[in-house]
Amino acid sequence: MRAPTGISELDAMLHGGLMRGDVALVVGSAGTGKTTLALQYLINGATKFNENGLYITFEEMPAQIYRDAASFGWDVRKLEAEGKLRVVCTSPPVLVQFVEQRNPIDAIIAEINAKRIVIDSISHLESFIPASELRGELYRLINHLKMKELTSIFTVESHEVFGNQLVVTGVGLSFLVDCIILLRIVEIQSTLKKALTVLKIRGSDHDKQLREFEITPQGIKIAAPFAQYEGVLTGAPRMSLTEEAGRAWAEAFARKRR
Amino acid sequence: MKETNLHELMGKLMGTEIKAELVRLFHMNPGILDTVEGIARRVGRMPKEVETEISTLVELGVLRRERFGNLDVVSLNTSKDREIQSRIATLIEGSGKR
Repeated sequence: MRAPTGISELDAMLHGGLMRGDVALVVGSAGTGKTTLALQYLINGATKFNENGLYITFEEMPAQIYRDAASFGWDVRKLEAEGKLRVVCTSPPVLVQFVEQRNPIDAIIAEINAKRIVIDSISHLESFIPASELRGELYRLINHLKMKELTSIFTVESHEVFGNQLVVTGVGLSFLVDCIILLRIVEIQSTLKKALTVLKIRGSDHDKQLREFEITPQGIKIAAPFAQYEGVLTGAPRMSLTEEAGRAWAEAFARKRR
Repeated sequence: MKETNLHELMGKLMGTEIKAELVRLFHMNPGILDTVEGIARRVGRMPKEVETEISTLVELGVLRRERFGNLDVVSLNTSKDREIQSRIATLIEGSGKR
């Protein structure tokens, strides 16, 4: 029923992992860790859950993916040689080209018996496909992947690094996908931190807390929720009233003891 | 390809600057599955410049070209690539013994 990401804290937030056959959107601005999270999902699928995966990139060359993955200790070339993973570098028109229900990537999906797919990033489709056709093409692509029983992650670039506005895409992609994971950079006490939250899972409950995460040499590591702060996503967080009151009492108590 | 010496084989594969760039691109990035326009962008050239060289590499069997609707999709012929690599290794070994 579930396709675990292998990132234990994220799987706990998702109540076991992504729903099998679903499409999850990982939204974040540049440098938030979308590619790392997506790649980790495929690496863990191939090495821990016996689920082969396909990584589709539009801009980043496979050589760069191999190099970046190696910095986390992930040997993508070896997994490719073993037929467990495949990195495909293509252009959006190829991805949305369907002839008699056949797509150029279908042969690769069949060849490695892929169960997972990552498209990094779906934002590139906007530059190649007319806006009037984009939603329809995305709908077709999503259904094609679902028919192949793939559990998918699409990454999408959010232009707002800070602030209280969040526009996932202009074509209503958030309505087409089943799950949305938001990655955000937030400022807490003059330090930039990374935050992750699950905004939506269709047909399942999920953890609604906003959690801090880090990109470690082993990949994404999710920590505790930002329990002491409110308004973190707005980019102007403040200490929660309970926390503030607690701190004021502690300070007053300390003063009295002095 | 029935070249008897290394020079002849390398000439066919990398006889021009663009051909050498394409062979290198596909060798470093075996997962490229793209249109001529897409490939041209990846080597920083115009489609017109790479079109003929891609056709030559397709004829040599290094690259594969498949038609999908109105798109020609080009990819590396991995089995042929392995064959060529082993042929180069054999020729290098042979030239060393002479």
